[in-house]
Amino acid sequence: MLKNFSNLTGLFFILFISSITALAFYGLIAFNQDGFDLTLLQDSYFHSILLFSIKQALLSALISTALAWPIARALYYYPQLYLKGTFLSLTLLCFVIPTLVLITGFVSLLGLSGILTPFLPDDWNLYGLKGILLAHVYMNLPFAVRAIYNQMRNIPDSSWRLANQLKLNTWQRFYLLEWPTVKSNLILTFGFITILCFNSFAVVLALGGGPQSTTLEVAIYQALKYDFNLSEALTFAWAQFAIAGVFFVTLYRSSSISWLSKDTAKKQYLPRLSKTNKILFSALYSLCFLFMLLPLLSLIPGIFSVKYSLPLLVNISSALGVSIAIAGTCAILAIVISYCIMLPIRYSLFHQQHTTKSLLQWLANHTLIAPAMVLSVGLYVLFLPLIDLDLWGIVFVVILNLLLILPFAIQQTRARLIQYDKDYLQLALSLKLSYWQRISIEWPYIKPTMLSAFSLVFLIAMGDVAIFSIFGSSDYKTLPWLIYQYAGSYRINEASLASAILLSLYLVVLLKFERAQNNA
Amino acid sequence: MLDINNVSILVGNNSLHYNRQLNAGEITTLQGISGVGKTSLLLCIAGFIPVQNGQLKWQSTLLNSLPSEKRPVAMLFQENNLFEHISVLKNASLGQVNACEDEIMQAAEQLAIAEQMHKAPSELSGGQRQRVALLRTLLRPEPIVLLDEPFAELDYHTREICASWVADCVKGTQKTLLLVTHQNEDVERLADHDWQLTQQHR
Repeated sequence: MLKNFSNLTGLFFILFISSITALAFYGLIAFNQDGFDLTLLQDSYFHSILLFSIKQALLSALISTALAWPIARALYYYPQLYLKGTFLSLTLLCFVIPTLVLITGFVSLLGLSGILTPFLPDDWNLYGLKGILLAHVYMNLPFAVRAIYNQMRNIPDSSWRLANQLKLNTWQRFYLLEWPTVKSNLILTFGFITILCFNSFAVVLALGGGPQSTTLEVAIYQALKYDFNLSEALTFAWAQFAIAGVFFVTLYRSSSISWLSKDTAKKQYLPRLSKTNKILFSALYSLCFLFMLLPLLSLIPGIFSVKYSLPLLVNISSALGVSIAIAGTCAILAIVISYCIMLPIRYSLFHQQHTTKSLLQWLANHTLIAPAMVLSVGLYVLFLPLIDLDLWGIVFVVILNLLLILPFAIQQTRARLIQYDKDYLQLALSLKLSYWQRISIEWPYIKPTMLSAFSLVFLIAMGDVAIFSIFGSSDYKTLPWLIYQYAGSYRINEASLASAILLSLYLVVLLKFERAQNNA
Repeated sequence: MLDINNVSILVGNNSLHYNRQLNAGEITTLQGISGVGKTSLLLCIAGFIPVQNGQLKWQSTLLNSLPSEKRPVAMLFQENNLFEHISVLKNASLGQVNACEDEIMQAAEQLAIAEQMHKAPSELSGGQRQRVALLRTLLRPEPIVLLDEPFAELDYHTREICASWVADCVKGTQKTLLLVTHQNEDVERLADHDWQLTQQHR
């Protein structure tokens, strides 16, 4: 069925990433001869962790999506909002911001001696569920705003004109135009955020603040690092993999690409807004803007109080170089591989082989739910006796980062590729284009999407700390790792400076990203 | 000869049946009420809808299991005939069109779209886009030509020009043409045979 060369290339890569996950689990199972500790599943410790993991994930996703919708509506219905372009770039920055940078910002803003803490109630505590939700909402609300806004932009002008012509009232417009457009996207966004928060590691580790507020991912890390209890880690890992898997399958079954209009449709026509709505939308927009900016601005005082020296600048710039090299390699590989992986998926979609499509899609995206900690540690214990990990560690850093960003690359490019097939595949087949002709026609269509996907996964890979913490070496530090070391040794000003430099790089790349997106 | 020998296809839950022989070098118009299965037949001949039963043959070659890219068919779809992101001229020269740029421009001249050839498809009107696609489909080398409502967006005068251009092309190259239309004037101008599809095909 899928036997031509391009499909086989895609299948090879799917096999490749699946085998790495399999190897990692094999590494843990083989190392720990006792196997599972099933009694753990009846333990109340496990129950409380499990419950908390699910609770914080669902709450984070619910708050993010519910607040994002009205803000997305403001952006859509009131396009004249001041600094809208900057706002949209900022939403992306919040999504990809390295967790350590964010936590540094939140602590200096709302921590024990934070700038805003004196204005908060006496019993305010950043650590625990509140802090976790705050950080998760900070990273995911802007992402949800962006996703819903982009989906709304797919409502063609002609539909609004028609609605006007038919004299539809506000409610009719809502349930005939807006609701069908955003419905599937809301569910998808909610589910996606749930999975991300369920697997969240650094935020919970830094802001959890005790056994009452621990997630499975952190429990795995603690079992490995402090107790070296492999059977506990493995049991938790399977539990996490299974639950995230259920979320994921539900998500993919409910997702569909609906109502994407052709790119010829220019957005020029929108319904008129009442004055009350304008005020309401402006207020929502400003609040969200402020929420996104505050933790970033709180880094500024540190930059001015740092003692500048040559070694400091050399340290930071060489770490920046390493970060760019690693993230760049990962991102290029991720884009090429995600394109190849999409080939058999597109083929099975076009030929209506839905079971094959779902299976391939699941395998291609499974690293979204496989705990990063488990992958890293599994490979580590497997390869430790076999090869010199000090020497080869960098290869694992690249491979594992690649694995983790691949689902994002696929997520970003999938819709555009499928849209291309929907509009043009019959035509391309009917014209009997040669392989190179097909590529040369497809490329200009997908290029902007590919470039923006590249920027996004480049930034996600650059923010990694978890994988580097296991496979990295002291010879070549990445910038986030340097920040972690500065923060760990209470050199908060240096940490702020390094964070600010990292953030500036993020901003530059994001502006490129926006430009590529606007051409898409 | 294109031999549609008791072919049945499945569209949704409906099974559609076709039985007809089309002689090489002749023009057949295909008519029938909306939803009766005209486009489905064209898509089936072009290889986008699989044959459930029966045989589809071109000269004695069985087409049933040939993938669309290997069939001797050039088809004009009802919509999405042009890649929106590349120029009209580039669009017109795709599909192994065996004509040099001069010949393409000459044909464009005849179809009154020569001035549009260096624009982007989005700058063209519906009727102009349709003529660009028509031009390409007929300049392609395949012996079977399928046109799905090729003149639907044209005014009376342009329709006349295009129909006579199509007739000249087909007769000059001895192609076999199957054309879906709702207009009786197309039948009168072009058809060697008219094929009326009815609900009995269901």
